[in-house]
Amino acid sequence: MSTVSSARPAGALYWPVQARRNIGVRSLFLVVLAFLIAYGFLFPGLFSASGFAKFTQSWFPLALVAMAQAILMLTGGISLAIGPTVSLGAVIAATTMAGPLGVTGGAAAVALTGLGIGAATGFIVVRLRLPAIVVTLAGSFIIGGAALLILPRPGGAIPEWLSDLLAGDTPTAFVLLVAIVLLWKLYLATPLGLSLYAAGENPVGAYRSGVPVDAARVAAYAISGLLSTGAGLFVAAQTGSGDPVIGAAFTLNSIAAAVLGGIGFLGGQGTMRGALAGSLLLSLMISVMFFLGFTPVAQYVAQGLIIIGAVAIPQFRKVQ
Amino acid sequence: MMKPSFFASASALCLGLLLAIGVGFEANAAAKCIKGDRKAPYTIGWANIYSVPTWMKQTQGTIEAEVETLKKQGLVDKLVVTDAQGDANVQIQQIQSMIDSDVDAIILIAGSSTAPARVIADACAKGIAIINFDSLVDTDQVTAKVNTDSSQWGDQAAKFLIDAIGGKGKILILNGPAGVSVSDDRRKGADAELKAHPDVTVLAETNTPYNVAPAQEAVTSLLFANPEIDGILSLGGALSAGAVLALDKQGRDQVPITGENARQFLELWKEKGLKSWATMQPNWLGAFAAYTAVQALEGKDVPAFVKIPLPVIDNSNIDEYLARAKDFPADGYIYSPYDEELFKKLLAQK
Repeated sequence: MSTVSSARPAGALYWPVQARRNIGVRSLFLVVLAFLIAYGFLFPGLFSASGFAKFTQSWFPLALVAMAQAILMLTGGISLAIGPTVSLGAVIAATTMAGPLGVTGGAAAVALTGLGIGAATGFIVVRLRLPAIVVTLAGSFIIGGAALLILPRPGGAIPEWLSDLLAGDTPTAFVLLVAIVLLWKLYLATPLGLSLYAAGENPVGAYRSGVPVDAARVAAYAISGLLSTGAGLFVAAQTGSGDPVIGAAFTLNSIAAAVLGGIGFLGGQGTMRGALAGSLLLSLMISVMFFLGFTPVAQYVAQGLIIIGAVAIPQFRKVQ
Repeated sequence: MMKPSFFASASALCLGLLLAIGVGFEANAAAKCIKGDRKAPYTIGWANIYSVPTWMKQTQGTIEAEVETLKKQGLVDKLVVTDAQGDANVQIQQIQSMIDSDVDAIILIAGSSTAPARVIADACAKGIAIINFDSLVDTDQVTAKVNTDSSQWGDQAAKFLIDAIGGKGKILILNGPAGVSVSDDRRKGADAELKAHPDVTVLAETNTPYNVAPAQEAVTSLLFANPEIDGILSLGGALSAGAVLALDKQGRDQVPITGENARQFLELWKEKGLKSWATMQPNWLGAFAAYTAVQALEGKDVPAFVKIPLPVIDNSNIDEYLARAKDFPADGYIYSPYDEELFKKLLAQK
């Protein structure tokens, strides 16, 4: 009896809570939807299996780094090392997978490196109480240098079948993304996941309530590192090789996607779906403006206007 | 007795003719990636990696001019331009969009020597002509690659300088940024000549971006340390202009120097009466790439690699270059003249 009565309000609460979380990003969802419709209209091939596959492949690495940045920003952190970490993941994949370690060994090396770098960064930031922005800026030089040491010039190789599997004509990337989002939902239900928002929004209050604040933050850095090197592995598969500077642009783009998605710099504010929508918008803009026939200069202007628009619309409504 | 030999020679002649036709037919076989199902007028996609540097703007200018000419001939109806802003991932996405919108040809300067290989192979499989110039991709799934030879650049520059200082003396070497393949290859190309002349002493080497200010700064500090300098082996861009300005500011005598076709350097060369030599990465590589793409689509065979001979500027023809200076931006490059005849000749070389 008691289990039923406590379960029902919880279930009834779930959707209203989710809906309230959407308020800040509703206009972003509308903008993204408009762009998707425009894209489908301009490029009908989008609705074929291979067209959809190629489109999601362009988006996938940006989606992963947006998640990697968002999880940190939710805890009140930030990383300026995401781009170099992507590069490092790519060069490790490209130098190990075609060698004796094989795809499994290479993927394990990529995953462990990501988790290790993330955990180490998190440990330094959380335990030594150093500003994340400084630690990750220094980390970006170290990680970027490591990538250049492993592979000084673009090269290496990824087994052809893996490239075809991840970045061929099948929407594997989209399936993976759905799986990762489900894992994220699961993670939020664990004690560490539950602590994430609390640790970001009000760390002192959370700590006093018995929330494992430090563990939640270190775990967030580790997961962020894993997502970043994972994005690197995907980029290596997509390009069939490794390039030690391929990730450079991901640092800024990951922050742009997260902020566009309504994630606040102060922690505890925003949703992962917002960050994903933000990354989707950044990726869609490139393709849609190509099909609209914008010249590169017009694209710069349009990009800026769309980003400001997507961020400003909810503010207008708040003011009213 | 006469008849058989007559028949023999006649049949030999016929055979020879057949062979010649056969060979001729071979030569006209379609180029790589070309399937022959695309008809003029064509749409050309220009996948630029970074549009901001002056060299890139001038290169795009030659592409646009060439496309105008091809439009008048009814061969091209549209030029689609993208700019990846230096991001190799964005360039891949933009090339994918070009494939999706079914352009007939893609010309590109690659943002990474490996990353675009797979998307280019996809485009090639769809019968799109791919012409890759300047920064090349490690793949053979292209219709043609077009470039000059960076190592030859360094070799010829070293030859001129060593000759100009009489085979012995103290020199400075000015390089572009470290770890950039063009800069590395030019420097390596100079090695053989330097080794062959042990009386030439290298006092110091610099690595700076291909810009005037950092080169001037680097050379200035080297001038303080080295009172005696006989020559400067400058391997590109605006480095030479920086070196000449540095010498001038300190009131030192100008020395023999090598360089590139940067307008500022050529003007200083004339103004200071230098003994100099310069070559270039011609901006019309872009125009040539567009021309080659259309030739390939029209069913002509094109070589898989077109090596562009380095145009040379020396004291005998510097005036011809400076006479055209006003047509080029002040911080730009005065490239050698080009026309369709030159393009035809370049495509005919094997």
